[in-house]
Amino acid sequence: MAGHVLLALVPIVAVVALTQSRRLSAIIGMGLLSFLLAAAYLVMHAPDVAITEATIGAALVTAIYVLAIRRTGRLTVVADEVPGLLAREGDRVVGLEYEILRGFANSQGLDLSIRFVPLRRVPWLIAHGEADIGAGGIIPLTESIDPLDATPGHLDTGVYAFDARDGRPTSELAPDYDGYFSELQSKARNGLLSSSATSLDLARVLSLSRGAPLEGLDRLDGRHGYAFLVSKERADLKRELVRYIESLRHSGELDRLVARFVQ
Amino acid sequence: MISRRGWVIGSVGLVVLFVVLLSFTYMASYPEPGDSARYLAIPLEDSGAANRVAGIYLNTRLFDTLIEILVFSVAVLGVRYYLSHSPQVSLPSLSESAVVRTAAGILGPLALLLSAYFATFGHISPGGGFAAGVIAASAVLYVAIAQGMQATERRLPPQRVATAEKAVLLFLLAWVFLPLAFGRAPLSELLPRGTPGQLLSAGSILPYNILIAVKVFLGAWLVIAAFAQHRGEL
Repeated sequence: MAGHVLLALVPIVAVVALTQSRRLSAIIGMGLLSFLLAAAYLVMHAPDVAITEATIGAALVTAIYVLAIRRTGRLTVVADEVPGLLAREGDRVVGLEYEILRGFANSQGLDLSIRFVPLRRVPWLIAHGEADIGAGGIIPLTESIDPLDATPGHLDTGVYAFDARDGRPTSELAPDYDGYFSELQSKARNGLLSSSATSLDLARVLSLSRGAPLEGLDRLDGRHGYAFLVSKERADLKRELVRYIESLRHSGELDRLVARFVQ
Repeated sequence: MISRRGWVIGSVGLVVLFVVLLSFTYMASYPEPGDSARYLAIPLEDSGAANRVAGIYLNTRLFDTLIEILVFSVAVLGVRYYLSHSPQVSLPSLSESAVVRTAAGILGPLALLLSAYFATFGHISPGGGFAAGVIAASAVLYVAIAQGMQATERRLPPQRVATAEKAVLLFLLAWVFLPLAFGRAPLSELLPRGTPGQLLSAGSILPYNILIAVKVFLGAWLVIAAFAQHRGEL
């Protein structure tokens, strides 16, 4: 009787595993299928086969699949922190860009993985294929940022430069500073901000000026918007991301997110 | 061009068809398994193994088992060859949670013990070299999760493991063909069969199980290490 029940469950679990859109869920379904088969073998008095099925099917093959999809089933985002857009809050990550990226990853059946890196490292990691999307208050200033590509801005902002005599920051991607946002915060507290940054964006300026008013900053002319960075070789990824952001804009969800995270 | 949906429906259809066919066979043969009676009729003393399954695949059908081991070796070679052409990962690694690391540290040695038991008692009770080798590889995977991939690779460097894996395979093949030197047919038994149920019994089945366990362990570890290096990190 138990054997019949187990055998009846096998095709059901197989279909469930096959129809999962998330790869990790599909792999867990395959592992479950192996366990069911092992139990069925055991009930049919084949303990040797059951042991082999459980160790190979449920343990080793599952582990190898998980290792194999660690890159492909994952949307890797590299970012520096920006309060309101993408920042840690205890164990969680919160913010407008986080919500957009999480929704996008879900819509693509991918697991979102965010790694916080110094801002200067973001373009390099994207250009070398080490990550899929660069985020965290990135503002593309020029049309051509070879070999990178940027989505159209999802939120208007302003760019502030410490020395605006030549009218623009040195980098093609504002803001422009070495290291992490947390280092910038400690420098701002000690009044050393202008020595480590040439330009900042509105969200960072607002966050940094909560401790003490920032001096010597000039707002640059022109319209600026936060965008996501992708490699030029990933045209399909950019197209899907732009399409997803457009659908958020049309449904009014983007405005709701902006109201929730950015005042 | 077949769409994703088409693939899913097609695969589900094939699975259902397969299951229907399988269930007919199952209903026809259960609870009276047709061909197995022939194997059950082989006297226990023929192989000396109390576990009849081990007696069949390491004595009666040893040749099939050897080919299976060769297939596994080719699979390991293939994984290492194709992954060696893809770039290595260099992003900062994701750290597992403390719960996972602690649990992995406890489970690793236990799994290794279970693997040793399956390899040495495979001719008496359920178990055997294949399962033992895979469990040992899983145990090292646990250790890698607990202590980090780099520390584990320093202890089990893939280059040296690859050499050892081939050495074990050669040793196994040499053992199988050793009877030729004594003027007997290859794959025939040289060691005494002993009393079925004793640890030292069943002739060459015990050393076969241990050799196969080591071989499968080294091969499975090479596959895991290759995937960890090139497709993601532990």
